[in-house]
Amino acid sequence: MAQLAMLIDTSRCLGCQACVIACKAGRELLPGERWIEIREVVWGRFPELRGAFVPHRCLHCTDAACVAVCPTRALYKQDGFTLVDFERCSGCGYCVEVCPFGVPRIVDGRVSKCASCIDLVRSGREPWCVQTCPAGALQCGPREEILAEARARVAALRDRYPDAQIYGETQMGGLGAILILTAPPEVLGLPAQPKAPPLALWKGGVQPLSLGALALSLLTSGIAFFIARRRHLEERQTGAGNNGSVSQPREAQRG
Amino acid sequence: MTLTRREFLQRLGAFTGVWAGLSRVGEPVLGFLRTRSIRWPWYRGDEVRVTYNYCDMCMWRCGMLVYTVNGRVVKVEGNPKDPKSRGRLCGRGQAAVAHLYDPDRLRRPLIRTGERGTWSFREVTWEEALDRAAEALARLRDQYGPESVAWFAHTTGDFWFGDYLPLAFGSPNVGKPATGLCLTPREIAAQITFGRGFGGHEPVDWENTRYIVLIGNHIGENAHNTVMQDFARALARGAKLVVVDPRYSTAAMKAHRWLPIKPGTDTALLLAWMNVLITEGLYDREYIEKYTVGFERLAEHIRPFTPEWAAPITEIPAEVIREVAREMAVHRPRAVVPPGRHVVWYGNDTQRMRALCILNVLLGNYGRPGGFYIPRAPALDPYPHPPFPVEVAAGGCGAAAAGLKIPDTPGHPPRADGVGSKFATGPVVIQELIEPMITGQPFPIRGLVVYGVNLFHSIPNVPRTVEALKRLEFVLAIDVLPQEHLAWADIILPEATFLERYDELWVASHRTPYVALREPAVEPLPDTRPGWWIARELGLRLGLADYFSWSDIEEYLNTRLGSVGLSLDRLREEGGVFIWSGKPYLEDYGEGETPFPTPSGKIEIYSEALARAGLDPLPKYEPAEEPPPGYFRLLYGRHPLHTFGKTQNNPWLAEVYPENEVWINEEAAAALGLKSGDRVFLENQDGVRSGPVRVRATPRIRKDAVYLVHGFGHRGSRLSRAEGRGASDNMLITRYRLDPISGGAGMRVNFVRVIREA
Repeated sequence: MAQLAMLIDTSRCLGCQACVIACKAGRELLPGERWIEIREVVWGRFPELRGAFVPHRCLHCTDAACVAVCPTRALYKQDGFTLVDFERCSGCGYCVEVCPFGVPRIVDGRVSKCASCIDLVRSGREPWCVQTCPAGALQCGPREEILAEARARVAALRDRYPDAQIYGETQMGGLGAILILTAPPEVLGLPAQPKAPPLALWKGGVQPLSLGALALSLLTSGIAFFIARRRHLEERQTGAGNNGSVSQPREAQRG
Repeated sequence: MTLTRREFLQRLGAFTGVWAGLSRVGEPVLGFLRTRSIRWPWYRGDEVRVTYNYCDMCMWRCGMLVYTVNGRVVKVEGNPKDPKSRGRLCGRGQAAVAHLYDPDRLRRPLIRTGERGTWSFREVTWEEALDRAAEALARLRDQYGPESVAWFAHTTGDFWFGDYLPLAFGSPNVGKPATGLCLTPREIAAQITFGRGFGGHEPVDWENTRYIVLIGNHIGENAHNTVMQDFARALARGAKLVVVDPRYSTAAMKAHRWLPIKPGTDTALLLAWMNVLITEGLYDREYIEKYTVGFERLAEHIRPFTPEWAAPITEIPAEVIREVAREMAVHRPRAVVPPGRHVVWYGNDTQRMRALCILNVLLGNYGRPGGFYIPRAPALDPYPHPPFPVEVAAGGCGAAAAGLKIPDTPGHPPRADGVGSKFATGPVVIQELIEPMITGQPFPIRGLVVYGVNLFHSIPNVPRTVEALKRLEFVLAIDVLPQEHLAWADIILPEATFLERYDELWVASHRTPYVALREPAVEPLPDTRPGWWIARELGLRLGLADYFSWSDIEEYLNTRLGSVGLSLDRLREEGGVFIWSGKPYLEDYGEGETPFPTPSGKIEIYSEALARAGLDPLPKYEPAEEPPPGYFRLLYGRHPLHTFGKTQNNPWLAEVYPENEVWINEEAAAALGLKSGDRVFLENQDGVRSGPVRVRATPRIRKDAVYLVHGFGHRGSRLSRAEGRGASDNMLITRYRLDPISGGAGMRVNFVRVIREA
C-alpha cells in the first residue's frame, strides 16, 4: 500500500469532539482512555480575538521517536502510520518520554495512542474519526493526494487567513497527519521544528552501542569465566589455591 | 425467618436505595464496563447485526445505524441515507452506547414509601405500578376532570406522553420545554410573518448562501449535526460570516467580524440594519412588491432607528452597523440571518424574531436560493382512532410549526397556562402550568405525568416548582435515569432507551420530506419497557382501549406506513429512511398557489392581526433591565458534548467534559481577585446560590456578563457521575419575563454575583 496520511483541517474544525467519542467507541477504549483530544486556543485581547481548535493526537511521524525507542517493537511503522501491537507492549513508557508532541500515555499497563484504524482503511472504509466528523475537517488517503488537497485548501484560505499553512510536510521526516493551520504553529501550541529529545538519540545511537557493549561484556565475562575455570582446574590439579584450606581437610577425610 | 430471593432484593432495594448495584446490572452493562470483551476487531465477521434508528441523544433526530455484536450494542454510526446525519454523528450521538449501558439506569418500577423528595421507594412489579398509576389518574379525571392532570414531555419519544395519551385522556394541559422555554417566540413570529413557522429544522439554504449573520446562535457549541455540516461547508465555500454575540463563541472564532453586542439590545441592531437597507435603497424592491404587504408602514416606522441611534445602545460602532448592512445587500438574496434556537431571552422575543424575519424579507431571501428554503412534510395518516376530546395544543420541537389555533373552543376542557390573558397565542407554555398547581388559578392542576423532562433543569424558578410538587395529589414519572425530580414522584416507571425499542415514526418536515424508522437493536435491559408499551398499558387501564386498538407496535407502524404505500420491511430495504422530493423555492409554486398561508396570502411585514390584538404591528426596541452594581448578567448555552440536563451522567461524555465552568471576563475576574481554576459560588439577585464551580477567566466574554454551560450542577439526583458537578444556570434563573405575544419565558433577566468558596 502507498504511504497513507490523515488530513486535519483546523480551519474547518468546529471543536465538537465527535471524533473523540467516535474513536473511543469504535476502538473500545478503556474508561479514561482517549486517543484524540481537541485543544481550544484563543489569542489576542478583547475584542480583537482569534481562535482555533487544535488536535492533540498521534501525528504519525515518519522518523518516529517512539518507534526508535520501543524496546519490544510494539510500535512500528507501516504505510505511513505508526501502528501498535498491543500484545507486545511492556508498558515501559519510553515512547511517552520521547514523543515531541507529548501524545502517548500508558493506560492499564500499555501504550495508549492512535493506532490508525488501518484495517478499516484497508477494507475501503474510513477511520472512525474521519467517518463521523460533521465539519468535514478530516480525511484519510494516499499521502501525495492528501498533500495536494492540503495545498489547494491552503491557497484558497490565504485571503481569509494570511498565515494559513501546511504543517507536517517536513516535520519529523514528514508527518502521517497533514495539518492545515490558520496561524503559525507556535501560536497554536505546536512546535515549529519538533525534535525528538536526546533519549531518542540514545536509543538510536547509544542503545545499539550499549547492546554492543553488553555483548562485549558478556564476551569478556565469558572469557574471564573460562580463564578462571581453567585456573581453578589447574589449582585443583596442583592442590594449591584459595580453596585449599577448605578442600584439604575434606580430601584428607576422604583420603 | 426466611426470605425468598425476591423479598430479599425488595428489602435490600428499599434499604440501600433503589438503583441497582453492580451485581444486578446484568451482562451487557458489565460487558460495556469491561470493554474489549469482544474479539478485536469487533466489526469483522458475520455476527455484526445492523438495525436502524434515529438518534435521541438530542432532539435533532439524526438517522443512525446501530451495530450489535453478540447481543451487545458496540457502536452507532450516522445512516448515510438519512438527510440529517448523512452518515455522520456528533459526539453525543456517538455516545449513545454509553447511555444504553449506563449502570445508573432505572431498572425497576418504584412506588414511593416515604416523604416526597427523599428518594424513599420500594420496588414493585409492572402490574402493580401500572394499576396504581392508572387508578390515580382515573380518580383525578373522574373527580376534577381530565384537565386537572398536566403532562410534561420531552425527548424524541415524547409522542406517547406528550401527544397521544394525554389527548386521548382529554387534557389540553400538555407542556413541552421546546415551546415556552425555547422556540415559541420564533415560531409565532414566523407564523405571523410568513404564515408558517420555521419548523424544528431551520430551513436555511446553507448550500447556496454567501453571507451569514448569526445572532446569539451557537453553531458548534450547539452541536446539531446537520447544521454543523452545512455551516462548515458554507464557510469552506467562502461564505462570509458575521457573529453577533456578547461572547467569543465557537462560531465567532470562525467569523470575519465579531460584534460583541451589549446583551439585550439585539432588536435595536436589527432595526438599524433595516434602516440602512431602506434609507439607502438597498433592499430587494421587486421581491417586496411581489410577495409582501405593509412595506410602506415599515419604511415610516424605521426612520428614526439609524445606526447612530443604535450605536450607543448596542455598543457597536455606527459605521460597523452600516458596513454590515451594505455587505448583506451586496450578497442578497444569498445573504441570510438564521433565526437561531432557544430564543427566549428578554421577554420581548416575538418582536425581536419578527424584526429578524422582516430583515430577511428585505434581503428577498425567503424561498430563494441562499436564503430560506420552504420545507414540506410527508402526508402519513395517523393510525385510525376515535376523535380526541381535545385539540392538539402541545406544539413541540419537531411540530412547532403546527399552527397557532387556541383550542379554547366551547365544549373542550380549558387550558390552564393563561393563553388569552397572560399572553396572546400559541401552543401551551410549560412554565405557566406550574402556577395553577400552587394557586389553583385559573383552575387547579392536581396531577402531573412527567416524561423525560428534568423539572429542575428546564423550568425556571425551581423553588416554585418544588412548592408545586409538594402540593400535587399525584406525580407519575417515566424516565431512563434517576434525575433529581424523580425523588418527588409517587410512581416511577423505568423506560427502555431508544436503542431498545420501537417508537413512533419520525415524520420529518424537511427540504426533502422523509420518514425514518426507530427499531430495537437489543432487548430492553430487564425490567425496563418501551414508552409505547407503557402508554398503551396505561391507556387500556384508563378505559381508552379504542385509542389503542392495534395488536402490536409493528402493526401500528405498518398501518401508518401503509397510508403512503410503505411498510416496515420496505423501509428497511430502503435503508431505514424513505425520502420524497420537496418544493424548496418560490419558483416551485405555480400561479395562484401561495407558499404564504397568511390572511393576505403574502408575507406580512405589517401585521394586522397583531394590531387588532392591541400589540405592536411592527417591532420595537425595549431596553432590558441592567444588572445592579456588583452583579453580572447570567448568560448560558451549550457544550457540544451535552444535551440539556440529560447527558451529564453519560460515562463517555462525563469523562471528556465532566463539569461546567463559569466564564468571567479576565479583567473583571482580576478585579475580583479571581483567576482560572478558583472555585466560586454564584448568587443571584434573589439570594439563590449554585456551585461551587470553577472560574474560567477569559477574554472571550464582555465584562457585564458571565456564562455557564447549561445542564450541570445536578444536586439531589442519583446520578453517580453528574451529581454535585458544577453549577446550575437554571437554579439561578428564579425569574423570567413573559413574552406577551407567545408566552415565551425570557430568562436572560437574572443577575449573579461571584463569591469565592470559603
